[in-house]
Amino acid sequence: MEQSRDQNEIPSAKQEWLSFLFVTAILVPLLSVAVVGGYGFVVWMLQVFVFGPPGASG
Amino acid sequence: MKMIATLWNTLKKPPVHISLGVIIVASFFAGVIFWGGFNTAMEYTNTEQFCVGCHEMENNVYQELQTTVHWENRSGVRAICSDCHVPHNWTDKMARKMQASKEVWGKIFGTINTREKFEAKRLEMAQREWARFKANGSQECRNCHNYDSMDWEKMSDEARRMMMPAAERNQSCMDCHKGIAHHLPAQMGSEDPLLASLAQDAGSTRLETGNLYFTAKAVELFTDPELTTPAGKVEMATEVVIAGIQGNSVQIEIPSWRKEKGFGRVLYEDFGQNIISAVLEKDIAQQDSAFDYREKKVDELTGLPWAEVSVKLWAESGAYINSPEEMWRSAEQTYRDACSVCHTEPDPEHFSANTWPAMFAGMVGFTNMGPGTQDLVLKYLQKHSSDYVEGSH
Repeated sequence: MEQSRDQNEIPSAKQEWLSFLFVTAILVPLLSVAVVGGYGFVVWMLQVFVFGPPGASG
Repeated sequence: MKMIATLWNTLKKPPVHISLGVIIVASFFAGVIFWGGFNTAMEYTNTEQFCVGCHEMENNVYQELQTTVHWENRSGVRAICSDCHVPHNWTDKMARKMQASKEVWGKIFGTINTREKFEAKRLEMAQREWARFKANGSQECRNCHNYDSMDWEKMSDEARRMMMPAAERNQSCMDCHKGIAHHLPAQMGSEDPLLASLAQDAGSTRLETGNLYFTAKAVELFTDPELTTPAGKVEMATEVVIAGIQGNSVQIEIPSWRKEKGFGRVLYEDFGQNIISAVLEKDIAQQDSAFDYREKKVDELTGLPWAEVSVKLWAESGAYINSPEEMWRSAEQTYRDACSVCHTEPDPEHFSANTWPAMFAGMVGFTNMGPGTQDLVLKYLQKHSSDYVEGSH
């Protein structure tokens, strides 16, 4: 692993591939699940405290 | 930290070694795989195999389902857990999946890991599910069953008599069909869940000597705190004063009126009003020293002498609530639901307290109210009859 003392240093091919794979295969999927889960959680809490159980819908 | 810095340093610049085309195509397929995987995982949590993976579900509700029409029937269509218990709408489905975190919690801490614990929680769990069905008009039932597709000719007379008015009012299936797929909570027997929930509320009432309470169910009376010698029964929704507390028993005082004729076994709520508070055993009723006499009056209409009395007897604790309002609201709802199936129901104040019992007895056979519910609804009607609305009550 190269040292990144210099912020303007051009990343190596390995770094680029690792970063790309990390973001597409791990980071974004995790964030997506967290966002959907968080949304579900918020709706659930709203159902518990504000709206009551979900009404009839399509 | 260094790794994050390296990562950020790489990400903030346009790529040098990977072509834009490769990034687009790879990202596209990553997206496809993710969404497919997400849905597959979501589908998996909707399978029966997943649901009964916990023995709590496998040994209780799953076994019960297997004795019902939703498991096996002549047309070979069956319902699995998620058909009835998971909303189809995406947002509600996500909310339900997050709600399942509570089930995971329960699994980890063994909240319902034995039959006894499950039974103890059954009412609470059932009520939560019933509330959901109530709110969405039993949407999950209607994903398969549809009022418009019912062939009235093929139904039995009895089924048609119940089902047609329900269809007209687009009534929620679960209003009548509770317990269709799993056992009903033990507290309910075949009774109305309304009585069960009242009895449950009563369990958490803090009792204090000298205060006024209302019975949340019919309560057996005894002459002794050990509750060994029966003395009668006090009716539901009756005003009682807690006169003493001893262990799990309470001494209740029932302020009432009774006819000074015959054995005087029946205690009434008010002078000249046929609203029953309690029915006593003959021995107690005739034992004058047990009663604290207040006023005596003759009812001009019947010529019968009445006496205002008060009697103190022992009973179980945990059957009393602070205010009758909730009880009256439930009774009113039951009255309106049951009677409006066939006709416009009269307002309670349309009749007097003494007219209602005969009126009610003549009609109640057409409804599906259990005996306990009938007692409560009749008392509601009497206590909201013409004698009480304009009066000082």
